[in-house]
Amino acid sequence: MEWEVPWRRTVVAVGLVLASAGTSCSVVDRPDATDWDTRADQALTDASSEVATSRLALDTAARERTWSSYAVVVLAQAEEAMATVEDDLARLQVPTGRSERAEEVLAVLESAASAVSDARASAVEGELDDDATLGALDEVAAELDRATDGG
Amino acid sequence: MKRYFAVLLGVLTAIGGFVDIGDLVTNAQVGARFGWSLVWVVVVGVVGICVFAEMSGRIAAVSHRATFDLVRERLGPRMGFLNLVGSMLVTFLTFIAEIGGVALALQLVSSVHHVLLVPFVAAAVWIVLWRARFSSIENVLGLLGLSLIGFAVALWQLGPDWGDLVAQLSPAEKPGAESWLTYAYFGVALFGAAMTPYEVFFFSSGGVEERWTHKDIGVMRANVFIGFPLGGLLSIAIAGCAAVVFLPQGITVETLGQVGLPVGVALGKIGLAVVVLGFFAATFGAACETGLSVGYSLAQYAGFQWGKYVRVRDAAAFHVVLLVATVLAAGVLLTGVDPIMVTEISVVFSAIALPLTYFPILVVANDPDYVGEHRNGRLANVLGVAYLVIIVLASLAAIPLLVITSMGQG
Repeated sequence: MEWEVPWRRTVVAVGLVLASAGTSCSVVDRPDATDWDTRADQALTDASSEVATSRLALDTAARERTWSSYAVVVLAQAEEAMATVEDDLARLQVPTGRSERAEEVLAVLESAASAVSDARASAVEGELDDDATLGALDEVAAELDRATDGG
Repeated sequence: MKRYFAVLLGVLTAIGGFVDIGDLVTNAQVGARFGWSLVWVVVVGVVGICVFAEMSGRIAAVSHRATFDLVRERLGPRMGFLNLVGSMLVTFLTFIAEIGGVALALQLVSSVHHVLLVPFVAAAVWIVLWRARFSSIENVLGLLGLSLIGFAVALWQLGPDWGDLVAQLSPAEKPGAESWLTYAYFGVALFGAAMTPYEVFFFSSGGVEERWTHKDIGVMRANVFIGFPLGGLLSIAIAGCAAVVFLPQGITVETLGQVGLPVGVALGKIGLAVVVLGFFAATFGAACETGLSVGYSLAQYAGFQWGKYVRVRDAAAFHVVLLVATVLAAGVLLTGVDPIMVTEISVVFSAIALPLTYFPILVVANDPDYVGEHRNGRLANVLGVAYLVIIVLASLAAIPLLVITSMGQG
């Protein structure tokens, strides 16, 4: 039958597309060294943004420029975004020669996630100008800067 | 006196209704990353929407038919269907983003997670679409949307170095850390946000709803040529606030709460409350406009009775479309998808669909069978054709830029 030839071609084409898609959709993402460096730098930049957002949200709420529930929402969203940043990088297979850098970057991201999480908890408790929380955010912001420069 | 009041009301609602979730998010994102170096795109986009809104308003006023009512008749069912699919899908995506935006705005005052608010917001939008008068939707929400003027006041109160801010207007002042590809991606997104197709769907169908005649062309032009540019200034003020507060601190904008923070810094709680009211009004108003636009476009293509100026029972299919669209939009948001991500996607896809929306308007606006002596003059055609070229370029560039920059990540 005449229609069989294009039908078979379609099956083969779809099969090839699915096969090639399958090979690129493995459980663990395995970037090369350059790609990993780019993603690590992006993660550090994103983390710096979330830490700075948290600092600003706490600061404006402490000066009574925003109401506390507004600050809590902003901080909760920063906490969620920070967790995503950390998870996304941790899920990557570290390429050869990047183990030490990966350890350093993941450690600072963990500190950042923890500082943002503590900031959210402080805001929920109504402790908007807690020196320890603000100090931790400033410290981790400096660590993130150093880690970025170290890349 | 009544005429002056109509002009004033039209201009004010055009200003208040100009900004939607796409403008709020995209302008704040762009300001935080590129300062004012992409303001020229907002200017180009606002002039473009003025050009095509004026054409579609004139068509509605003279022919008493909405532009897309005429597309199928003038350009045939195939072009009509292409126009329907492209434009309506983007409008529906924007509808989802707007309902999500209302929920995000309410989250900022209630601390209740936006997903839990979505069913209530969707129900409220549907009730308004079903029961409220067209003029009430347009006027009340448009006037409340004027609260976003808080961004302009906040920018002034932040006391920026105006010389520095004005110097940023040059594309050459793009921050060095950002690539030109990312710059181009956000340029296309900003253009898509400014020229989003539903604005023309709504404007032209609204003209029919309000029974414009050729006598209303002057008022319509005042709304477009005064109201839209002033609305565009609000977009620039949003970008300015983000440029002053976020850019020096390296903060990128990913949430609606961040968009309002500079206003809190500058004006305190009252200013912030006014702007959050503006978030609500702008997104709720745009949710109504996009919801109606989905119904308008489908009804106008299929040829069934539409509009809020006829009784519900006479436009039953139109109201069923509104209900189904609202339920579907709520369903998408209840999956937990981030409304800001939907917004980011909708503005880029809006840029992709622009030629499908604006080419037919240019054709119909030149057809004396529909607009008689009110057909396009030389200036309208020169601007229309020039914008079609820009629109096609933006549309072609959108997908490659989206892929290459990973949605603007770099």
